[in-house]
Formats: sequence, C-alpha cells, structure tokens
Amino acid sequence: MFKELDPILHSQLRLAVMSLLIAVKEAEFTFIREKTNSTAGNLSVQIQKLKDAGYVDVVKQFKDNYPLTTCKITQKGITAFEDYVKALHVYLQAGK
Amino acid sequence: MAEDKKLSEEESLQLITEMIHKVKGSFHESGTSAILWGSVIGFCGLFSFAQAQFNFTTGWFDIWLLTLIAIVPQIIISIRESRKRKVLTYEENAMNAIWMIFGISIFAVAFYNNVVPAVTENIFANDGIELLQKNKATGVVTAFHPFIFSVSSVYLILYAIPTLATGLVRKFKPMIIGGFLCYLVFIISCFTTYKYDMLLHSFAAISNWLIPGLILRNKFLKGEGC
Repeated sequence: MFKELDPILHSQLRLAVMSLLIAVKEAEFTFIREKTNSTAGNLSVQIQKLKDAGYVDVVKQFKDNYPLTTCKITQKGITAFEDYVKALHVYLQAGK
Repeated sequence: MAEDKKLSEEESLQLITEMIHKVKGSFHESGTSAILWGSVIGFCGLFSFAQAQFNFTTGWFDIWLLTLIAIVPQIIISIRESRKRKVLTYEENAMNAIWMIFGISIFAVAFYNNVVPAVTENIFANDGIELLQKNKATGVVTAFHPFIFSVSSVYLILYAIPTLATGLVRKFKPMIIGGFLCYLVFIISCFTTYKYDMLLHSFAAISNWLIPGLILRNKFLKGEGC
C-alpha cells in the first residue's frame, strides 16, 4: 500500500522552498526568491502555507530600515521532508 | 516557478537535487579575515625575530598587542559580512563556531603563558622554596624565574587546528597545505630558540592565512566559491 505524498510538499514551489531550507540553517526571503525563480507574491503565499503547516519558522525584522524576512525549517518540517523523500523512493522503486 | 504545479515522482526528486545543489554554490568566502590575521601575525612574528636578531626594543609597547588592536577591524568585517549574507549554511555556522573557539583558546593560552610562571614562583615561595640557576662555566648562582618552555610551539598547534579543519571541510587545498605546514613548523619549533620560533610563527601565519586568504579574495572577486 502506497503512503500518500504529503500535499503540502507535493507542489513545485513549496517543495523547492523546503529543499533549500533543509540544506541551510536559515535563509532570507530574497535568497529563496532568487534560487526558486519565483515572484515575491507567489512565494509569500507558499511560505505562509508552509508556516501554517508548522514546517517553517518565519522571522520578520528590519535591517537598515528595510523589512527583512528570514525563514528556517522546523523539526516538524524536517520530519515531513524526510517522510516525503522516503515515500518518493517507495513510488520510484515500485515503478521500476 | 508555478505554485500548484503537480509533479511526478521523478520531477520531485530532480527538483530536490537541483535545489540542494543550488545552495552548495551560494556561499563565497571573501578571505578578508584570513588576510587580516595572516598579515598581523606574520608581521608580529617577523618584527619579534628582527628585535631578537638586531637587539632593539619598542619600550612598553609589545608588538603582539597589535593582535588585540586587530580585533576591532575583525569585528567590523564580521558585522559587514553578516549584513551582506543572505543565507547561513550549516557548514558556515560550524566554521564560525570553530574559529570563535580558536580565538578564545588563543587568548586562554596567552593568559596561561602570562599567569602561570608568576603563580608557580609564588607557590614555591610560599613553601619556602627559592628556585636558583647555576652557570656551569662561571659557577655564578642566580634566581631562576619560571617560564613556559617553547610556548610558541603551543600556539603553532592551535593555528593548525581551525585552518586544517576549514581546509578539509571546504575542500580548499591552500588551507589544507597551510595546516599541515603548520604541524611541520610546530615540530621544528620544538628544537629552536625563541628568535627562530618567531620566524616560524611568521611563516605559519603567512602560509596558513595570508596566502589562502589572498587566493580566496581573488576567487571571491571573480565570483567563485572555494
């Protein structure tokens, strides 16, 4: 029986964001936007969804009078990401 | 990148790999700190060697106090680099911790070197013991003031640790070579006098930090990582 892939992660932009954050301690919003090639509005919405799911922590502050948003993956997010990758492997193994 | 685009399993795996790969190339060390410390310690070592060789002093000012003064530009560099940094990798975080511990350890050894001889002398004095030394040639006996033997060698071991760790973790050959050279210089320093220890110090700082720092700077300006 296949485990259903986490719908929060099984979307292109959210998965890209989680894949970036799993590899770093923390990253600024602008860095994520650059690397994912997304628009600020779209990215904000997707990060909010990840935040609502408890997968990322978002810290908003000011740096040199400009707003600065920093994102960091949570322990819940790490577990969800690991489960997602395991599930992916099961699907791929079955497909061979 | 589309928000709701559903992916196949292969595409998902490919996306994960691609994103992790993008992070790997996102950190570029500027080399500024390495250049700063390589220059300062390299200069202090050479200056101390010259002092011992040509027998001159700088009065109350010990040239090694420059290392304390160099903390100010280091703090400014650290603040500026952290402001520019858009991402903090686990590797970078670990490297920062190693270099911070190295800094604390250097000052701990300096403290040990300055405090232990006097404390040792006091402990002996409290037990009614006076340490004496005899010149075998003249037979003259004078008071012996304890000191830490070849403390420069201890500093050289300390220099090698973070340098080699950084070189190995970042796979940056100049620092790996510098780290191993530092261990070689440490062995040599166990057999040399203070004067040549200072020269070895200078050599270690230049090979450990100044040269790798200049290489890093060059790569940084070209937009390449180490």
